[in-house]
Amino acid sequence: MTKSIRCLCGALAALLLLTLATGSVRAQEQPVLRWGADPSGGAPYVFADPARPDEYIGYEKEMVDALAAAMGRRPEFVPTDWETIVSTLQRGSFDVIINGLEPTADRARQINFSKPYYIFQLQLTVRREDERIHTLADCRQRTVGTLGNTAASRLLAQEAIPFRSYADPVGAYRDLELRRIDAVLMDVPMEMYYARQNPRLKPAGAPFQRGTYVVGLRKGDDALKAQVDAAIDKIMRDGTLERILRKWNLWDDAQAELRAQLEAPPSASNSNTAFDLTNATFNWPEAILRLTRAACVTVLLAFGAMLIALALGMPLALGQLKGAKWVQSICTLYIEFFRGTPVLVQLLFLYFGLPALGIALPGWLTALVGLGLNYAAYESQVYRAALEAIPRGQWEASYSLGMTPVLAFRRIILPQAFRIALPPMTNDFVSLFKDTSVAFAISVWELATAYRELANATGQFMLLGVIVSAFYLLMSLPMAHLARRLERRLQRRQTVAAVQAEVAA
Amino acid sequence: MIQVAGLTKRAGGTQILRGLNFEVAPQTVLGIIGASGSGKTTLLRCLNGLERIDGGAIECDDVRLAAELAPADYQRRVRALRRKVGTVFQHLHLFPHLSVLDNIIEAPVHVLRVPRTEAEARALELLEALGLRSAAGRFPESLSGGEQQRVAIARALAMRPSVLLFDEPTSALDPRRSAEMRALLRRFAAEGHTLVVVSHALSFLIGLADSLLYMEGGEIVERGPTDQLLAAPQDARTRDFLQQAK
Repeated sequence: MTKSIRCLCGALAALLLLTLATGSVRAQEQPVLRWGADPSGGAPYVFADPARPDEYIGYEKEMVDALAAAMGRRPEFVPTDWETIVSTLQRGSFDVIINGLEPTADRARQINFSKPYYIFQLQLTVRREDERIHTLADCRQRTVGTLGNTAASRLLAQEAIPFRSYADPVGAYRDLELRRIDAVLMDVPMEMYYARQNPRLKPAGAPFQRGTYVVGLRKGDDALKAQVDAAIDKIMRDGTLERILRKWNLWDDAQAELRAQLEAPPSASNSNTAFDLTNATFNWPEAILRLTRAACVTVLLAFGAMLIALALGMPLALGQLKGAKWVQSICTLYIEFFRGTPVLVQLLFLYFGLPALGIALPGWLTALVGLGLNYAAYESQVYRAALEAIPRGQWEASYSLGMTPVLAFRRIILPQAFRIALPPMTNDFVSLFKDTSVAFAISVWELATAYRELANATGQFMLLGVIVSAFYLLMSLPMAHLARRLERRLQRRQTVAAVQAEVAA
Repeated sequence: MIQVAGLTKRAGGTQILRGLNFEVAPQTVLGIIGASGSGKTTLLRCLNGLERIDGGAIECDDVRLAAELAPADYQRRVRALRRKVGTVFQHLHLFPHLSVLDNIIEAPVHVLRVPRTEAEARALELLEALGLRSAAGRFPESLSGGEQQRVAIARALAMRPSVLLFDEPTSALDPRRSAEMRALLRRFAAEGHTLVVVSHALSFLIGLADSLLYMEGGEIVERGPTDQLLAAPQDARTRDFLQQAK
């Protein structure tokens, strides 16, 4: 026993040494430039090559290769999530953000920016047949989709236009096609790649609102910032960047202006902020209001889904227990499917897959129905276990008193089973409350989404996290408490009646 | 009055009841004896329709349940049969979530649609007669085994059956309680019920059953008036069983 443990420890130590050794050897070879970007729906910046999905391509990928070469470093790509990219940089998962990052005021408080390497514009896109929307001003009473946590989303917030944030451009343009939203506002590079070729969509008006892309760096990484700035200078001057941008069809007059700025005095780089789209400062009443609204959505989702689960769970349980062979098979298939696949995948399927069959539900309804269908599978098993826990003798006693199966079930079996099922049902309900957070995947503005967006916008992960947790607890604790009281009441009814009888006698 | 003709029951390829023929005269008590596995309990479960019979017929008053009936028809007859036959299970199967009173009035109110007040009055009468008046508001789990058994009897009697089936009624009783139970069952017969009592306790059936029926291997080996069968069993197997039972 001890010998084998010693062997194991030795092996582990050796492995550790080996890792350290190879790591340090590699570090000596050439310093690494770890760069973070979101490759999902990331064209034309950085994305998986459709022809060879294990390789990443994109104009920024090529640009980073050039930058790293100029810096004498070896580029290492760290795929990450766009929404949380600033926080991920801060926690040290990579050294720089190169992902079409806009230098906004709120980000400037958290990280440093390099000099700009690209000037983008925004493009509004609508459905081919749409004649109502020509400019952003036409969208005041409509919903506009955009990428979350971008200059575009900040502009929409600033202009008080109702908008919905998406995790990637694909989802936004698809929802536009499916009429779930009325327009999409996106940076031109994305619009070019994901919407320009789509015959069912068209641009509304010309590109507008210039902004820049910069490299994001941690505060205090000044040496690295100097290196990056120098490298950007170099690839701009020697035409490498122009070659890459032309290859990706992204070169335009604005880029030439940017290059011309290189020759201008250094103060020009401060004009970054001229493109800034937001000065929105974080405001607590506003944040609490938005969180409360999101909490209401969460409550609606949880209760709606639980109603579906409770209503659908019983027929499933009965079908599995008492149904004909084919009914049993269908119920089992349903249960195993919904229990055996992630609820996230189910929601994505319902949201993006069902429209192919002509059923395009809004996001909140999709989440409500999806969670309901999912939890019905779990509830059916709770019911089934509770029903099976009732001894057969209870059925037989009921039958021999002349009851029909329906009457026996309703009057004798169900009340007893309910008592058994109550604690696990409460458990499921509380966990459903938390599972509503997967709805963020289909852009439903519930509590977890709200947390992510507000925290990303402000960097207040800690404080907002505490508040959001309190919201969840405020919702789930009363539920648990109510259920416990009901349980106790059911228990006590017997004891109390017994005592009363005793006293009466 | 019960008439059983050619009753067979199979389960998974084995013959559990092999063509039983017997009848029980009105207001008499039939005791069924036999070793475990002889088919006594299965027979009882056939008599109240809990087991579907595979052959033959059961007749109780004007209800005739025959194996060859179509399923829907069969189900209807089973329900009619259960109106005639009350069962007191060996393990009682009281409803744990209902009070004693509610246990008793549940079926009269929801099956026979007797008004609740009427059903309650009748239930209290039954409890009174069984010496359980004070337990009406209690729950089964708080009662002793003997009290629970009397609640189960009251529950069966509340449906006013003409036939009462008892499965091992003494299994939870001490000797004194057994004697009381015997007297009680005797009284039911005197009041007009026909009783079928399955018991392995021969002493309990002596002085209770008008006639005895000895089963072995799913067959009726011997049947006769109690005194006669005990004094002079005709079949060697019966003699052997009685020898062991003493």
